[in-house]
Amino acid sequence: MEYFRSGLKTVLGAPTPGTQPTGPETVERLVSRVSTSTLLEDRRDACRALKALSKKYRLEVGAQGMDVLRQVLELDCADCEIIGYCLDTLCNITSNEIFEEEGETNINMNVNVGEQFTEMFLKNEKNVAVVLGFLEEYDFRVRWPAVKLLTSLLANKPKEIQDIILVSPMGVSKLMDLLLENREIIRNDALLLLINLTKSNANIQKIVAFENAFDRLFDVIKDEGYTDGGIVVEDCLLLMLNLLKNNTSNINFFKEGSYIQKMSPMFLLPDNIEEIGWSPQKASNMHCVLQLVRTLVSPNNPVQIITACQKTMRNTNLLEALCGILMASGVPADILTETINTVGEVIRGNLTNQEYFANVTAPSNPPRPAIVVLLMSMVNEKQPFQLRCAVLYCFECFLFKNEIGQEQVVQTLLPSAAGATTLTTGQLLCSGIFSADPLSNWFSAVALSHTLLENPAQKEQLLRVLLATNLGAQPVSLLHQCAVYLQHTSKLQSKIGMLMLLAMWMSHCPPAVKIFLTVPGAMAFLTAQTSASEYDNNEELLQGLCAFIMGLCVAFNDNSEKNYSKENLSQLIEKRVSIETYCKKLGEISRHEVYAKAAKQPQIKAKHSSELLLEFEFCKLFKALEGVIIQALGVQRDLSNGLSELSLSEHENALLIQYKELIRDQDKKLHDLQKEIHTMKRENKSLEAQIDELSQTNSQLNDHNTLLKAQLSTGANITSNEPVAAAAPLLAAAPDQGLLDKVNRLESELLEKNEELERLRGDQDNLLTLLTDQDTKLCCFKSKLRELGETIEDSDGNSGESDNES
Amino acid sequence: MSYAYLFKYIIIGDTGVGKSCLLLQFTDKRFQPVHDLTIGVEFGARMITIDSKQIKLQIWDTAGQEAFRSITRSYYRGAAGALLVYDITRRETFNHLTTWLDDARQHSNSNMVIMLIGNKSDLESRREVKKEEGEAFAREHGLVFMETSAKTAANVEEAFINTAKEIYEKIQEGVFDINNEANGIKIGPQHSPTNPSLPGAGGSGGSQGSGCC
Ligand SMILES: Nc1nc2c(ncn2[C@@H]2O[C@H](COP(=O)(O)OP(=O)(O)O)[C@@H](O)[C@H]2O)c(=O)[nH]1
Ligand SMILES: [Mg+2]
Repeated sequence: MEYFRSGLKTVLGAPTPGTQPTGPETVERLVSRVSTSTLLEDRRDACRALKALSKKYRLEVGAQGMDVLRQVLELDCADCEIIGYCLDTLCNITSNEIFEEEGETNINMNVNVGEQFTEMFLKNEKNVAVVLGFLEEYDFRVRWPAVKLLTSLLANKPKEIQDIILVSPMGVSKLMDLLLENREIIRNDALLLLINLTKSNANIQKIVAFENAFDRLFDVIKDEGYTDGGIVVEDCLLLMLNLLKNNTSNINFFKEGSYIQKMSPMFLLPDNIEEIGWSPQKASNMHCVLQLVRTLVSPNNPVQIITACQKTMRNTNLLEALCGILMASGVPADILTETINTVGEVIRGNLTNQEYFANVTAPSNPPRPAIVVLLMSMVNEKQPFQLRCAVLYCFECFLFKNEIGQEQVVQTLLPSAAGATTLTTGQLLCSGIFSADPLSNWFSAVALSHTLLENPAQKEQLLRVLLATNLGAQPVSLLHQCAVYLQHTSKLQSKIGMLMLLAMWMSHCPPAVKIFLTVPGAMAFLTAQTSASEYDNNEELLQGLCAFIMGLCVAFNDNSEKNYSKENLSQLIEKRVSIETYCKKLGEISRHEVYAKAAKQPQIKAKHSSELLLEFEFCKLFKALEGVIIQALGVQRDLSNGLSELSLSEHENALLIQYKELIRDQDKKLHDLQKEIHTMKRENKSLEAQIDELSQTNSQLNDHNTLLKAQLSTGANITSNEPVAAAAPLLAAAPDQGLLDKVNRLESELLEKNEELERLRGDQDNLLTLLTDQDTKLCCFKSKLRELGETIEDSDGNSGESDNES
Repeated sequence: MSYAYLFKYIIIGDTGVGKSCLLLQFTDKRFQPVHDLTIGVEFGARMITIDSKQIKLQIWDTAGQEAFRSITRSYYRGAAGALLVYDITRRETFNHLTTWLDDARQHSNSNMVIMLIGNKSDLESRREVKKEEGEAFAREHGLVFMETSAKTAANVEEAFINTAKEIYEKIQEGVFDINNEANGIKIGPQHSPTNPSLPGAGGSGGSQGSGCC
C-alpha cells in the first residue's frame, strides 16, 4: 500500500527522475491490483488512482482497464464509492473532449479515442443497462456520474444508445424520474441528457411525453420563474421542442393535456419591462417559447391539429398576449420579429383569429390598427430586413383563406373609400409598390397579390382602382400602372415582384388580361424578354416569368381584343419566339434554385434581401398553371394547322402514329431504365454487404490499434526511462529483445547449416562422378574378361553374388 | 374543460385486431376501413362521465408487431388501464393472449385494470373464437370481458367506460395511490378538496412529484 502511494505521488507530481515507475506502468499495476486484490479497500484505492490518471493516461487506462472497470460495476455494485470512481473513470475515457492533461502524452490526437472506447463499451449491451441501473441509486457519488457517463456515451454514439435505452425495461422512466431530483446539478444534467436522447427519435419522444414530461417541465419552469428563469428554463423549453417537432401524436397530447394554457403566463410582460429591460437569457427563453407556439401551429402540421391549437390559443388569451408583445415598446428586434412570425401562424387560415387580429390597435397617436403599423414597417427601408420579411409573412397569414380580410384591404383602395385622412393598408401597399426602394416594391407587390389569392371577386374589384399619376392627366388603372412600371424600372427585384402580382391577378381573370394587353409596349416587352438569348445573373428568372405572363394572356384570353386574340398570341409566340424556346424559358422558373427554396414553406426565408425573388404562393400558382398554358398553346396550334390542312383526320392519324412511336420509344427506355435500376440495386446490395464486412473488420482493427497504441506508448516510455526499466519487470519490451536475439542466433545458425549443406552436396556430386567412372571401368573390365573367355553373371541381377565376389 | 380525474390507458394486442380502429371509434366516432400500420404509438383523448364526475381518458394506441414489443413495455408502468384486444375471426390472436398478459403483468403496476376485448363481433360468419372461450379466459385470469365491433361501434363506448368504472371503484376503495403519477391517474386541476367522495384528493395533482427514489 505504502509503496503504491509513493508511486502514485511521482506520477502526479514531484517526480524523482530515473527511480520511479512511469505513468503507463502505474496504470498497468493499478489495473492488475483492481482485478486481483481481494480487499475492497485496495480495489477502491486503485480505482480512485485510476480515476486520477484517466485524463492524462486515458489511452492506457481505457485500453488496459476497460474490462476490469466493467467487472467492478457488476461485482462491487454495493459500494457507492468505488462505483463512483469507476463511473467517473469511464466517463473520462469515453469523453469526446480532449483534456488539457493528455496533450503531451496522447501520441495520436487525431483519432477520436473517446468514440473508440465508447464503441468498446457498447460491445456488450448489458453495460448500458448496468449504468441505467445506477440511476436508481440515490447516492450522489453514483447517480451523478451515471448521468454524465450516459451523456458522454450518447454524444459519441447517439443512435446506438437511443436504441438500447428504448428497449431496456424502464430505461426512459429512470431518466424521467431524475427530473424530480432536488439536487439541481443532477436534474439539470439529466435535462441535457434528455434533450440529446430525444433528438429525432419519435418513439423515445412519445415515451418521454407519456412519462409526464410536460407536467414536470412546466413545474420546473414555474419554479424557476418562467421566462425570467435561468438557462434551465431554456433547457426545459428545448426539450419540449424536441418532443413536439414533427411529432403529431405528441402535439395532439400537448393540446389535449391542456398544456397550451400553461404556456400563457410566459407571454405576459411585466408593466415595467421597459425599465428593467431584456436580459440575454430572458430573450433566449422568450425565443424558445415562441418556437414552441410555432411548432404547434406550423403550416406543416395536419390541418385539424393546427385549427384546434389555434382555437385554444385564442381562448386562453395566448394570442392576445402575443399581440401585446407586438405592440409593446422596448422589445428587442429579434424577439419582435419572431413574435410577428408567431402571430402570423397563430392566425393563419383561422377566421376568428384573423378577425381578432384585424381589431388589434396600436397605442399610437392617433390610434391605428396594428396591421397598418406593421405594414408601415414593411415599407420602411430603415427597419431591419428580417422584421420586414416577418411583417409580410404575418400579413399573408392574415389574408390566407380570409375573403373578408382580402376584401377589406381592396376596399381601402376603391374610389368610394371615404376620407383620405387616415392611412390605410391599401394606400401603404400602393405607395410601396411604386416607391424608390426595390425591396418595398417586392414586399408590397407580393402582399397585394395575396389579396387576390383564390378570390376571383377581388381580382375584378382591384381592376377598378385608379391612380392619379400627374396633375391634370387622366387617372390610370392600377394594373396599367403596374405594367408601365414593369417596363421602366431597372431593378430586377421590382420587376419580379410586379410580374408575380400580375400573374396572380391575370390568372383565371380575362378582364385583367384584356386591360394588360392594351397597355402600350406591354406585349412587346414580354416578347423581347422571352426571345432574348443572353442570360445575366437571374435574368433567366425574369425571362421565365415574362414567358409565364405571356402564357396567361393566351390561356385566359376571352378574344375581346382583336389584335391579341388567343390565336394571334399563339402565333406570335410560335413565330417570334418558337415553341421550343418558349417552353425552355418557362421551364427556367421551376429549374431555378430560388424556386425550390421558396416553394418549401409559406414563410419568407432569406438571409439577405437580394435572395428575395420568388414567393411561396406564386410557386404554387406556377405549378398549377404551367401545364394549362402548354396545353392552351398546343390546342391553338392544332386548330390553326387543322384549318390550313383539309384532311384533318389524316393529319390526326399521322400525329397519332407519331405519338404511338414516341410512346413505344419511351416504353422501351423505361424498360431499360428499370432493368438498369434492378442491376444497380443488386450491385448496391452487394456493395452494402461489403461495406458492412469492411466496417466490421475496421472496427476490430481499430480496437486492436487502440490496444497496440497503448502498448506501444507503454513500451516507448519504458525504453526512454532506462533506470526504471531495470527495476521493473519489462513486460512489454523484454520479450521483444529476447526474441530478437533468438532470431538472430537462429539466422546465423541457418546460414552455417546452409553452407554445410552446400559443401555436402558438392561432395556427393564428386562421389557420384567417381562412381560413374568406376562403373564404366567395371563394364570395360567385364567385357575384356568375356573376350578372354570368362563367364560372368550380370551384376545387376543379384547383389548377393556381387557381395560375395567383393 | 376541467375534470375530476384523468386516466391513462393503453391498447395492446396483436397487429390487425383493430386497436387503432377502436381508438378512432371511441374518440372520433368514425370507422376507418383502411389498414395502416401504427408506427410506434398514437394518441387520442376523450372526456366521459362516471358517477356524475368528469373523467378525462388519455389513450395510447400501441403497435402490435413483435418488433415493437419492447417499446410497448415502456408504456405499462404509467397506465391505469389496458385494453387487451384479440380478433374473434383469427384464432391465433386469441392464442397469443397469454404472452400479452404475462408481459403486461410483469411490467405494469399491480393495480392496472385490464379489459379483455374480442373485437370484430360484426363478422359473425367468420368467427373462429367462441364468446364462451373469451369469457372463460377472462374468468381464469381475473379480467373483465367484452365483445366489440369498431365497425358498428357496438360495445365500444362500454369497453372504455367500464374500464374507467373499474378504475374509479378501485380509487374509491383506496387501492390506487392517486398521488403517484406513475399509476396513470391524475387528479383534476380544479378539483375541490372538500368533496368527500374523493379520498386523498387535495391540491393540484400536476405539481406533485412522487420523489420516491
Ligand atoms: N369488420 C370489422 N373490421 C374491423 C374492425 N376493427 C378493425 N377492423 C379492420 O381490421 C383491420 C385492422 O384494424 P386496425 O385498427 O388497423 O388494427 P391494429 O393493427 O390493431 O391497430 C382494418 O382493416 C380494419 O378496417 C371491426 O370491428 N369490424
Ligand atoms: Mg394500429
